[in-house]
Amino acid sequence: MLAKLTPSKAAHWLGRQLLNRDDPAAFFDPLTTAINPMWVQQYTPARVERITAETADTKTFELKPAHRWGGFKAGQHVNVRIDIDGVRRTRTFSLSSPPARWHREGRVTLTIKRLPGGRVTNWLHDELKTGDVIGLTEAFGDFSIPEDKKPVLFIAGGSGITPILSQLETMALENYPGPITLLYYVRTQNNVIGKEKLDALHSRYPAFSLNIITTDEGSAPRYLNDQDLDSISDLTAREIFLCGPKGLMDLASDKLRQRGLNDEQLHSTFFAPPAPAQLSSSATGGEVTFSTSHLTVDSKGDANLLEIAEAAGLTPQHGCRMGICHQCTCTKTSGTVVNRLTGQVSGAGSESVQLCISIPQGPVALEV
Amino acid sequence: MNTLNDQQLDELQKDLDAIRDEVVADLGERDANHIRGMVRLHRKLEVAGRVMMPFGFIPPVFLAATASLGLAKILENMEIGHNVMHGQYDWMNDPSLNSQTYEWDTACSSESWRRTHNFEHHTYTNVIGKDRDYGYAVLRLSDDEAWRPRHTFQILNYAVLSILFQWGVALHELEAEKLSYGKSHLKEKRPFLRVAAKKAGRQAFKDYVFFPALTLPVAPIVVAGNAGANLIRNLWSSTVIFCGHFTQDAETFTEEQAEGESKGHWYLRQLTGSSNFTGGKWLHIMSGHLSFQIEHHVFPDLPAHRYPEISEKVQAVCRKHGIHYNTGSFGKQYSTVLKRILRYSLPERFTQRPAVA
Repeated sequence: MLAKLTPSKAAHWLGRQLLNRDDPAAFFDPLTTAINPMWVQQYTPARVERITAETADTKTFELKPAHRWGGFKAGQHVNVRIDIDGVRRTRTFSLSSPPARWHREGRVTLTIKRLPGGRVTNWLHDELKTGDVIGLTEAFGDFSIPEDKKPVLFIAGGSGITPILSQLETMALENYPGPITLLYYVRTQNNVIGKEKLDALHSRYPAFSLNIITTDEGSAPRYLNDQDLDSISDLTAREIFLCGPKGLMDLASDKLRQRGLNDEQLHSTFFAPPAPAQLSSSATGGEVTFSTSHLTVDSKGDANLLEIAEAAGLTPQHGCRMGICHQCTCTKTSGTVVNRLTGQVSGAGSESVQLCISIPQGPVALEV
Repeated sequence: MNTLNDQQLDELQKDLDAIRDEVVADLGERDANHIRGMVRLHRKLEVAGRVMMPFGFIPPVFLAATASLGLAKILENMEIGHNVMHGQYDWMNDPSLNSQTYEWDTACSSESWRRTHNFEHHTYTNVIGKDRDYGYAVLRLSDDEAWRPRHTFQILNYAVLSILFQWGVALHELEAEKLSYGKSHLKEKRPFLRVAAKKAGRQAFKDYVFFPALTLPVAPIVVAGNAGANLIRNLWSSTVIFCGHFTQDAETFTEEQAEGESKGHWYLRQLTGSSNFTGGKWLHIMSGHLSFQIEHHVFPDLPAHRYPEISEKVQAVCRKHGIHYNTGSFGKQYSTVLKRILRYSLPERFTQRPAVA
């Protein structure tokens, strides 16, 4: 998942022989980063070129990633890799700029809201300066603009607008035929992220209609309601993109399903732990063997494999702890696990699992 | 072994746990900077050594190249590899410094070393019969083992072991002594041998085939320099490690003593089974801070550069509980190691001091 040069077979072989590692180039990272942090090979470095305030608690970070970065599609996200007080932290953020800008200028933006108590978002807001270099992974995610040019409805809440900003700009550049509607829920007018960009798009792109709804400015909270959806022409013919707080996403998808929209038309993306899928089997927990560490522990209930490993004193590599970033993916050699997000039960054999969202169902062996 | 009652052992455990908790709570950027600085220095030394080596036909350059590569190997094995593989830097969440994936620059595979060293040696420290690091199955270093005629010239075995130390460590898990007594069979060791041969092969390939071949006209010089660097590393690491457990006052234990022990008792065994030596900052770094073997055995997964700063506290705990804190200059500690090797070359009747009345 880390964006690094994929070493050729020969380089890989030589790396093992000479340097005891798969990626020979990264052996020199400690030296080259001291000279120029943009030369690091272990991950894609990206220099912070500009930081602008969007709202009181949201900033846009303009980044210039190293040339080898693979680019992205509108609506995708990246993992950001930073060191805070000696500890490497990984978090997932949406790219808020259009891919066209990356192709043209080699720049991308991340629009990040400060989360109350959030270790990484607050650090980014308070400590990250212009000229600093952070790490990026390759982009991922399938929150993508429809290829068949169907009409689109975006429903966004708060900072959930960020991937949609990239999509809207891209659609405008491509002259996407439309109609395209955005229902954007924010607490107050001051919380609108990308206000200028949205207004500019709205005025120059007739296929796009913009509806900003403030939830906290009236006497009673004003959430998404049936009138909002009634106002959308040919709602059932649209592809629908949802991004925002869980409450909004649940409410919107319920209402949309009631109106006969099928799951294939609904696309959603999230950056907070979604509700745990109902674990169909009560038989969770069991003996977990960490084969590399020669350790076997008993687990009960719905503790995930990352928690179980940490409780046993191990410190496997990890990132977001919510199933997004895949930093904790490792090989399960035997046993079955339940995926907390999907509720799906794995096969019994050897396969890749994400430690942070996998719950053992009986005895499990892992290469950790 | 010091005898402390259960209550005293519990108190010992609390005192040492408190020291540990304080360090763990304080882990951060300073520790990250230390290990990253060491990694940077290792890369510089290794690159410098490899680049200079082909010019080794100029004698001072040969010495500089060999020394640089030798120091690189020492630093990588001791302060980086050994400590990283103890999990001292796992909290950094950096895949290049992770205990389970790190592979070091020596013949022994990390996987085998984690079994024999992290698990066997650190759990059963100085328990005769269980800690196979004790004498490495070739040396008799305590009364607990009966004297045999083959022990007479064990100082020579010791010299050979030191010279070939990385190969000794690489084959440690083979348990050759058990094979020779017929207690185990080569067949069971096949999976280990496969991994060991692969790793050792790589190590030999790079120093004795690849880099020499790359510099063909001067290949013999490169072979000699690389062998020299390996020899420097072998002698130094062997010496540091022997000073850690085989000094005069380092205690040994029987299997019964270690059976079903409490955490406090385990701590006591680590304190009395290990020995330190004193010196300057770079002596400690080049020893991987195993000059603080006592602190290392008590807290194997705390970043090693913290040992000098917690040593005072560990000593205070030892004084409080009347436990001997075994330390001295490098020269003094090493001389007692040599004396120990010589003393146990002979049966007791030649070496026994008159019993104190």
